Amino acid sequence: MANIAKKVSWSGRGDDRGERTPLLNGDEEVKYNRQDIVRSRPKEIPHNEKLLSLKFESLDYDNSENQLFLEEERRMSHMGFRCLEIRRWVICGLIGFLTGLIACMIDIAVEKLAGYKYFAVKLNIEKYTELGGLSISLILWAVLNSAFVMFGAIAVAFVEPIAAGSGIPQIKCFLNGVKIPRVVRLKTLVIKVFGVICSVAGGLAVGKEGPMIHSGAVVAAGVSQGRSTSLKKDFKIFEYFRRDTEKRDFVSAGAAAGVSAAFGAPVGGVLFSLEEGASFWNQMLTWRIFFASMVSTFTLNFFLSIYHGKPGELSSPGLINFGRFDSDIVQYNLYEIPLFIIMGALGGVLGALFNIINYWLTIFRIRYIHRPCLQVMEAMLVAAVTATVSFAMIYFSNDCQPLGQDNTEEYPLQLFCADGEYNSMATAFFNTPERSVRSLFHNPPGTYNPVTLGVFTLAYFFLAVWTYGLTVSAGVFIPSLLIGAAWGRLFGILLSFIASSQSIWADPGKYALIGAAAQLGGIVRMTLSLTVILVEATGNVTYGFPIMLVLMTAKIVGDYFIEGLYDIHIKLQSVPFLHWDAPPTSHWLTAREVMSSPVTCLNRVEKVGRIVDVLSNTSTIHNGFPVVAHTSENDEPGIICGLILRSQLIVLLKHKVFVERASSRLSQRKLQLKDFRDAYPRFPPIQSIHVSQDERECMMDLTEFMNPTPYTVPQETSLPRVFKLFRALGLRHLVVVDNENRVVGLVTRKDLARYHVGKDGLEELHLAQT
Amino acid sequence: MELLTRFTFVSACLFAEWAVTFIAVANCSISPSEMNGDSALKLPSAVIPVSQKSTLGSFYSLSLSSKFPEDLEVNEYCTELLRIYGQRYVTFANCLVTYARPVRVCQNCYTGFNSLEDIYKNISFDKSAPGNVGCHDSLMRSDRLMLLYTLFIKLDEIWTSAECKQCLNEDQDALSNDTLYFMATLNQSLSCFEQYQRNHTELCKDCKTSYKRLNEVYGRMEKNLMLCIDLEDAMNMTQHLWSKNFRCLLPREETVPVIAVSSFMLFLPIIFYLSSFLHSEQKKRKLIHPKRVKSSSSLMNIQDKFS
Repeated sequence: MANIAKKVSWSGRGDDRGERTPLLNGDEEVKYNRQDIVRSRPKEIPHNEKLLSLKFESLDYDNSENQLFLEEERRMSHMGFRCLEIRRWVICGLIGFLTGLIACMIDIAVEKLAGYKYFAVKLNIEKYTELGGLSISLILWAVLNSAFVMFGAIAVAFVEPIAAGSGIPQIKCFLNGVKIPRVVRLKTLVIKVFGVICSVAGGLAVGKEGPMIHSGAVVAAGVSQGRSTSLKKDFKIFEYFRRDTEKRDFVSAGAAAGVSAAFGAPVGGVLFSLEEGASFWNQMLTWRIFFASMVSTFTLNFFLSIYHGKPGELSSPGLINFGRFDSDIVQYNLYEIPLFIIMGALGGVLGALFNIINYWLTIFRIRYIHRPCLQVMEAMLVAAVTATVSFAMIYFSNDCQPLGQDNTEEYPLQLFCADGEYNSMATAFFNTPERSVRSLFHNPPGTYNPVTLGVFTLAYFFLAVWTYGLTVSAGVFIPSLLIGAAWGRLFGILLSFIASSQSIWADPGKYALIGAAAQLGGIVRMTLSLTVILVEATGNVTYGFPIMLVLMTAKIVGDYFIEGLYDIHIKLQSVPFLHWDAPPTSHWLTAREVMSSPVTCLNRVEKVGRIVDVLSNTSTIHNGFPVVAHTSENDEPGIICGLILRSQLIVLLKHKVFVERASSRLSQRKLQLKDFRDAYPRFPPIQSIHVSQDERECMMDLTEFMNPTPYTVPQETSLPRVFKLFRALGLRHLVVVDNENRVVGLVTRKDLARYHVGKDGLEELHLAQT
Repeated sequence: MELLTRFTFVSACLFAEWAVTFIAVANCSISPSEMNGDSALKLPSAVIPVSQKSTLGSFYSLSLSSKFPEDLEVNEYCTELLRIYGQRYVTFANCLVTYARPVRVCQNCYTGFNSLEDIYKNISFDKSAPGNVGCHDSLMRSDRLMLLYTLFIKLDEIWTSAECKQCLNEDQDALSNDTLYFMATLNQSLSCFEQYQRNHTELCKDCKTSYKRLNEVYGRMEKNLMLCIDLEDAMNMTQHLWSKNFRCLLPREETVPVIAVSSFMLFLPIIFYLSSFLHSEQKKRKLIHPKRVKSSSSLMNIQDKFS
């Protein structure tokens, strides 16, 4: 017989017995225990992954079909709708263009800054190799790195903390329908771009591709609104698009444009948006998003070609360029496929290891390193240690290779090698990560010796684990690719040893590519979009099948141990994220158990004083209020006749739309949908709206403004059914009614997101204030 | 496309008597400069099937050893050009092979290349009087193999990839001053090496200045794109001598300070994390209890369902 054991007491720090309490299968003791907890005052616990934060809200994806909306639609001509459609296309073009431009700017800035840095350090090293005193070069390198990173970290930690990391988890949440505060602001974009330039130029084990996706999303959100609240500038254009529904569609276009600019993979970009935001999708949107992606990669291409002095030669489609894989040399054969699968499994294991270490590190960071100055210091330390490790590796490496004819190494370091040779370890470490990846893919066999690669993989793995999650804006794509490429190349070299004869099929560059795919897949666990991105970035469709196999294996193996990195970070940020499906074995849960109850309802004609009180109540911050025919004095719930949002109420209060003022208002302009849009997206808090004592006695008629047909479900609806409604329609509030249509509860995103499958079956997350 | 069809047409008529006037037209309309590269390679092969078809009858009467009618023969002037071409080709190829290792081709063969290039240009720009087939057409483009063209192009490729032009002066008729200067510097180093042949430690010390200057000169020329294969090879050999034979490598003698600084740097984060673990207060989260339906009824519900 099953009981529900919802909660177990928290006895302070370190006691995580309660975390694993199964929802099902509890015993009597637990049942009584729960009753105590409900009565007890709020407890404090250390941060962990099983929390849902109160600060996150849903996007209002569902359209409120109130009378104002119908009126506006009636007024709009056929031509008007045409124009809207054209405007959408224009916006998508703009998004693509601006995203490409930003990518171009980042690329050039990083190249210049890193160029100066490496040039200075190289000169210094050359000087001191001869004279003695190489430890000074080491210190110079470390200080330069730390200085760059310091600027980036200060900007992120003190100005806009949301710009930290790759931004992909945040964009994933946004596309999932969670409103992450400040994530799509102009200020975030500026800090993000500045931060990523600093951290890449600062030599951290990071890439600039992840932040590109975030940047694209911010550009989209900004352009589609036709104004910037950060700059307090309103261009008075695109006013129709000032609501969550439209904004989210454009943000998905922006994210796609970002991916496309980062990897030169327009189709991959579209599929990324599809994979991450697939819950509410429409086919027309796909075509527009594809347009934005194409424009973005074209723009980047075009401006980079100008920068490289070959205008019109469109040969660098993305920030990372895998270079051309010559299909003659690196063909694969049927008997290599098992090898690829083994590599995929290896990638899954290594990826899981990466995620586990990073998970513990992130928890530690959230719990202890939460002050901005500490965060800046940590970032600087990581930068200094990265330089130190790199230097030590280069110093002690005995791997010397002759300088190639085409001189692919931009900053060859000779150090103790013979004249005319360079230190092979330095090509991997003394370079921006993108270049290292490319040289691992393309340098001819024999460029690296196995020991170098092994040591490099190990060192870079730990550096990358350590770096991700710092308070700098930086992505994890490139370090993953680099780690994978290094061990993949090692794998290829070892194969050719085993095969004894120098056979063609053990070309190390090919295995570097497969290893890179496996490692990246093992860490981020993206599927379809990642396959397409990698195929597009290599420019070789024949690799589609092995890459898919490898990613599949990596995901299966990795998921056995731990989730993907982005999901871990989403969880650790306590975001109410709705996955693709409701947790399995949850059909026995009904809306009745899931919902919040009792519900704060409003009358169709409500007293202003009550509305203000309800909105000002800080202990329960509700955003949607069912409107009922009339509430009787006793606790009998009323019959539902609509749903109204906090934002709408605030606008109504601001414009003082009271019944008593109706006569005087006749002379004034009637409230339109435009007034609601103008206040979007930052509705003023209730505290800033002044309501006098007289006005508190007034009445407010909500009939015109509420959504008259909110979605409702009966109490017996199962959790998966409710979940599906939420996912498919992008709901924010779902009213639960009894069989006489009386409001008994309200389901929101947090009510659904709290169920997840743990080690012992279904578990429940706690709501917490963060 | 238009050019191709016209050419095909013209060549098809080559064996017909009345084609003379057309050939003149063809000569004028297709200047050799237009015909370089790929198009020159493809055109003649397109010609062949057509001409074979149209002249099938006349081929039966001729054996290969017998002579063609006079106006189809290569004229004497062209034969002479062909002979000179052959001579110069042999001379130049011979020179290349002679100076292949160690590479000295640029210094020694540039006259050979220049004269070969001259005769090739002569042939390809030859336009004899109207009524006659020019040497360019008769020698270079009459057949599928296009031997003269292919031979020259291959050698030209070699010459280009050797980058010999960068070592020669502007007229390509002598070595440039920089090259000579480099060779003088190189000789200084080499003679120094010879001097200290037996004692390598001495050598490393005493020849360092001249070797260093050589490196500087080389570096400067590399920057100015004034290197050719000769200099690169000479420099390579010298570097090899210096580093591998004489083992004049820089000593790795700072291991201790580097290790010390590195371990200090690696030690910093440990201190940082320890101190923040001990001194920073742990971030706590306030739990919030959501409003839920009275549980008794829901429990009842579930029990109903399960029983």
